[in-house]
Amino acid sequence: MSASVPGPAAPRTATPRVGVIGADVPRQLVLAAGATPVRIFGSWSQPYSSEAAELLGAVDAVAARILDEVLSGAHDDLAGLVVCNDSAADLRIFYVLRILSERGRVPFPVHLLDAPRDGGAPRDRFVGRQYDRLVAFCESLTGERIDAAGLRLAARRERELGRALTALRARRRARECSGAAALHAYVAAATLPPEHAMAIVDDAASADARDGEPVFVTGSAHPEASVYRVIEAAGLVVVGEDHDTADAAWIGDAVDTGDRDEAVGRLAQRHAARPPLAARSRTRERAAELERRLAETDASGVLALVRELDDGPVWDLPGQRAVAERRGLPIASRARIAPEAALVEAEEVASALAGELAAAGQVTR
Amino acid sequence: MTTDRLGSAVAATRHQKDWFAQTTERARSGEPIALVNADAPHEILRALDIPYVVTQWWSSIIAAKQAGPAAMERLVARGLPDFSLQYDAMPLGEQDLPAEQRPWGGLPAPDFAIAERSGDVTQKIFEQWGERPGTETFLLSRTGADPVPARWWELVPRDWETAFGTDRLDLLQAELEELVAWLEERTGRRFDTGRLAEIMALGNEQAEWNRRTRDLIATARPTPVMVNDTMPAVMVPQWHRGTQWAVDAARSLYEDVAARVEAGHAVCTGERRRLMWIGRGLWTDLAMYRRFHDEFGAVFVWSMYLAIAADGYPRYGDDPMRALAARFVGFTDQLYVPPWSSDWYVKEALGHGVDGVVHLVADDTPGPGFITEALEAAGIPVLEIRANNSDARSVRAARIPERIAEFLSARVPERS
Ligand code: SF4
Ligand code: SF4
Repeated sequence: MSASVPGPAAPRTATPRVGVIGADVPRQLVLAAGATPVRIFGSWSQPYSSEAAELLGAVDAVAARILDEVLSGAHDDLAGLVVCNDSAADLRIFYVLRILSERGRVPFPVHLLDAPRDGGAPRDRFVGRQYDRLVAFCESLTGERIDAAGLRLAARRERELGRALTALRARRRARECSGAAALHAYVAAATLPPEHAMAIVDDAASADARDGEPVFVTGSAHPEASVYRVIEAAGLVVVGEDHDTADAAWIGDAVDTGDRDEAVGRLAQRHAARPPLAARSRTRERAAELERRLAETDASGVLALVRELDDGPVWDLPGQRAVAERRGLPIASRARIAPEAALVEAEEVASALAGELAAAGQVTR
Repeated sequence: MTTDRLGSAVAATRHQKDWFAQTTERARSGEPIALVNADAPHEILRALDIPYVVTQWWSSIIAAKQAGPAAMERLVARGLPDFSLQYDAMPLGEQDLPAEQRPWGGLPAPDFAIAERSGDVTQKIFEQWGERPGTETFLLSRTGADPVPARWWELVPRDWETAFGTDRLDLLQAELEELVAWLEERTGRRFDTGRLAEIMALGNEQAEWNRRTRDLIATARPTPVMVNDTMPAVMVPQWHRGTQWAVDAARSLYEDVAARVEAGHAVCTGERRRLMWIGRGLWTDLAMYRRFHDEFGAVFVWSMYLAIAADGYPRYGDDPMRALAARFVGFTDQLYVPPWSSDWYVKEALGHGVDGVVHLVADDTPGPGFITEALEAAGIPVLEIRANNSDARSVRAARIPERIAEFLSARVPERS
């Protein structure tokens, strides 16, 4: 599997895994420091403990599931954990885990990555300093120092994965891969060493992707594919999305330089140019991105599913609705989806949209 | 026992109504005004002589005038949620109410809407302001609370680089400079750093009076004032921070309290249990703060409003812009992020000699249990109540008075 990748000079047992909560980590830097970034996702509907709920207060249930996974010991093999300030819920996870880590309740150090999204010199400078701290954190976990060769190798590995993901996106548009299969591949890309992930991404395909009406998904992020499966069982195919666990994940991007400071600075600028995510961007940017992605994916409809207490995406809905209407596309949405009702509500909304698309198809055909 | 309200509280409330009338008058005659969030750097606007209205205060007026539900319906009519961060969103809906439903004649459309990007939603609400004709939006970054050194209240007045970290301060200071340039460009006015220095000095003076008042109440036996009476007397001047009026108002609160202490005045002469109230004010049931006097001799002696006004604001230094960044970079962290919050509540509880704590757990803050745990570890019994403070149904469902009575009987012994 990793035979084509030159190993590090020093002998070692296994590559340290660095846990990631949130979507803002510049993976190239983690890879270059000799670690594998492993994103922790949670899920739509798994139960979680009252301890996690009480520690976090009222937040998106996915955050409670992530915290619960960490507290249950499911990720005790991690060398360290990076938590992004990419949503209010993730920031709360950091505050809670910082204390629990100091108490030894979790067996690894916890680090905040705080990367404002607006671009411009003051923010780019701050993000660059945050990346410096991230590098120092990863180096402290792996005992390796980032050097020119490491940066270039990490760029190559990350780019290869990026190329596989680009091909995957093309297969989705060509209706050769379902949204559920694509989401599974994205999860692999975010959790496995790039070479292993690439094999899974390359294999992601599904014959039945031809059968449904192509739709674009916005709203809350999908930590796993259960809701996508329901949507696609209703006669739709998810050909693209703007949330951070799939098309808007920051995976596959890297900068070509052997100079660490330059890499940090250029990655900070790349960060500012990423697709806007609901919790940290303006509705205007989100609507413009939706417009761009709808044109690219040629979707016939838009589906917006928003979980209870994940309020960022709710505020984007009027702006997104205007975009869909301008393009003559139906948009079906549901806000405040309760954890236990996710699959049922997704089925209702998807069926309604499928019905609308079928009716429209009969009129035009 | 006394039911007399503090003169300073009455004066502050009255002033606010007059001030609003004058401000809206200025706006209607063509002067620029701003709408700002409570933890945005108001001092910049004051230095540029741009009157501003604070969102959370204006929401409290809208709610008090029973216009809240109608305002939220206006949001729904535009496809926006009525369930998300209502206290920040309500003024947006108020803009669309028919003239006769608008409290105090309504807020004229502000020229500027300024907020920090706290949470996921504040930025979206303020962005909506900028979509309205005549209003432009400016957003500041809100960085996470990292580092969190011990005993922040000793560090923040001068050693803010240690308290908040240079990177966070550099970012906010640079953004404040961007804000100044943005406002200068739009108003044609020139920002004067000397003027900002004066405003910072007045804000510090105000905080010093609040500190004296806090310290006086901490040591006074029996308690001379009701917590709900100090709330308006502290909060209204906070919206006028950086003016001589606000300094005078903070000073007159101190003088009112000192006169009561001098006269041996007691809110409850049979004071036998001293209580601390952690969390936002219970606006739906202010009489509740008095309910435990007769049966238990239990008096609420502490709320965060005066205490944070004492510890949270002072920033001394030669560079007023840096000091201003230091006032706001981690403002809410001081109150809401453990271990900063929990350490501070313990220090305040010990300083006020409280016998028990009622902790109205806010569901919008992380790790509330750490606060309870820290207080209990310091030997102070805590009653945790989970309810939404502005929702009467939620408060009733939480049986707050009954549970406080049970807590007092079971866990808070009388002092001799
Ligand atoms: S194939 Fe998919 S499910 Fe199996 S280990 Fe790889 S990523 Fe996980
Ligand atoms: S017990 Fe306290 S509140 Fe009751 S009458 Fe006496 S002084 Fe007043």
